Amino acid sequence: MIAQKTKKIQKGLVNELTRVSKSLYLIRFTPHTPVDIKPGQFVSVLCDNLTLRRPFSVMDYEDGVISILFKKKGAGTTYISNLKQGDEIDFVGPMGNGFNIERKKSLLISAGVGSAPVFYLHKKMEELGVENFFASGFVSKEEIPSNLEFDMVTTDDGSEGKKGSIVNYVEGLILSFNPEKIYCCGPEIVLKLIVQTAEKHSIKTEVAMEKVMACSIGVCKGCVIKIKKDGKIQNATVCHDGPVFDGGDVVWQ
Amino acid sequence: MAVAQNVDMSFKIRDVIFKNPVLTASGTFGYADEFDDFTDVSSLGAVVTKAISMEPRPGNDHQRIFETYGGMINSIGLENVGIKRFVEEKLPILREKHIDFVVNLAGKTLDEYVSLAKVCAEHNIKAVELNISCPNVKSGCLEFGTDEVVLGKLVESVRNVYRGCLIVKLTPNVTSIEKIAQASQQAGADAVSLINTVKALGVKLEFINGKFKKSTVQGGLSGRAIKPIALGAVSRVRQVVDIPIIGMGGIYSLIDIFEFFSVGADMIQIGTANFTHPDISGQLVDELKNFMTENGFSTLKELKDNLRGEY
Repeated sequence: MIAQKTKKIQKGLVNELTRVSKSLYLIRFTPHTPVDIKPGQFVSVLCDNLTLRRPFSVMDYEDGVISILFKKKGAGTTYISNLKQGDEIDFVGPMGNGFNIERKKSLLISAGVGSAPVFYLHKKMEELGVENFFASGFVSKEEIPSNLEFDMVTTDDGSEGKKGSIVNYVEGLILSFNPEKIYCCGPEIVLKLIVQTAEKHSIKTEVAMEKVMACSIGVCKGCVIKIKKDGKIQNATVCHDGPVFDGGDVVWQ
Repeated sequence: MAVAQNVDMSFKIRDVIFKNPVLTASGTFGYADEFDDFTDVSSLGAVVTKAISMEPRPGNDHQRIFETYGGMINSIGLENVGIKRFVEEKLPILREKHIDFVVNLAGKTLDEYVSLAKVCAEHNIKAVELNISCPNVKSGCLEFGTDEVVLGKLVESVRNVYRGCLIVKLTPNVTSIEKIAQASQQAGADAVSLINTVKALGVKLEFINGKFKKSTVQGGLSGRAIKPIALGAVSRVRQVVDIPIIGMGGIYSLIDIFEFFSVGADMIQIGTANFTHPDISGQLVDELKNFMTENGFSTLKELKDNLRGEY
């Protein structure tokens, strides 16, 4: 008889669903069986009878409640945005590797909905007493999630915080904060620019990547990116090998 | 109806006894170890491995997944670890965990299929499925699946070097799937499995700043949307071959399985459903067993005869 392991597929009940910015929503739900979730890991939510689950980075996990921040975009997120307190939610997870927290002075950078996993990382670092600075970029003031707090925000239109893209402030943050490590999540182009800036200063990076997924568990090879490994360029699945990668290993498209 | 005391769900093809008729389709179950967190993989009739070629393949570069109404299009391009690594790394795991498996083989040439089959014979692999129907690679396997003369030669050549259970997986992207099935049987195949994915194109349009931006994924359609196509193909092939048929295409429930049995399938494979419900294959084994027990079917044949109106 094989010892019973925790099944990574289960159901939970929705605690609440709130709109936290113009296009971002927060859903909090309680899995029937408690799980263990690291910052950077994700859960895949079943959306009615859509063929594919939708993967979401976890924004927080506390007192047995999972929080997810999501942007209402298509059929899947519309379905989730219509869930009500007490509704059942079917999810797979936690999946993926998650960030590696080290005892190093850390700069945390995110953009848009990418602030979700970085917020969770920030929270864990605070608990562990790891010195960190959390900066996030948004399109405008009305897109900043009201439930999150940052050490610094930027908006493209200057309606809140510093004006312009977050990537324009990375160099300055490196010089003023002097981090030993940088963690980031956001659109691929943002990650690429952050990693390139970090490399100029010989700072290690961890990036959380995003891709359309089918299976979420590493079998379908639908969500691969190219990484440098063992001196060769090879495929890595975002869902299973990632979603967090060493920024220096990623071959940017 | 009486309750069945002992339910025998097994089905035999050549010398291989599959303990039940629920298999997982190639490319949807990895090499099985990935599913440990979700289901008891050793309870399945068999796991059909991800397609394996002689050399490792990196697969396609572009966007690989496109969700559609009732299904999905994939364009993976047969990314796999290659037969050498499969034999060294994956085979011992499958055997150690007592997982019954079928190795799916994908070659670029007739010689490559023969070489792959030889490796399988050397390693005492009991069953293989020839992938002659992947729509997502530029050269190679699909061509074998669309021409009955070429296919006949291929199956014969593999048959000559491989004495285990030989399954040929058929594509629906042909004028007459019956002819391809007949050619497989004539050339010595022990069973045919069908259908592979349906050739399709996914188009996504975005209207940004007054301009349309188009992105596409060309590949194979799978999922619920293709079930009627699959049922039609199984039904037609059943009319022209005597060898067992392994049916697949959009199976998500026990009723779906029964529909396939009713039109002539002997066993079935679960594909796309594994992505969304990683525990579904094991669950369907349990559901089938419970149904048979509660309704007094002691063998699979009794159940199928009833479904086909042959009782």
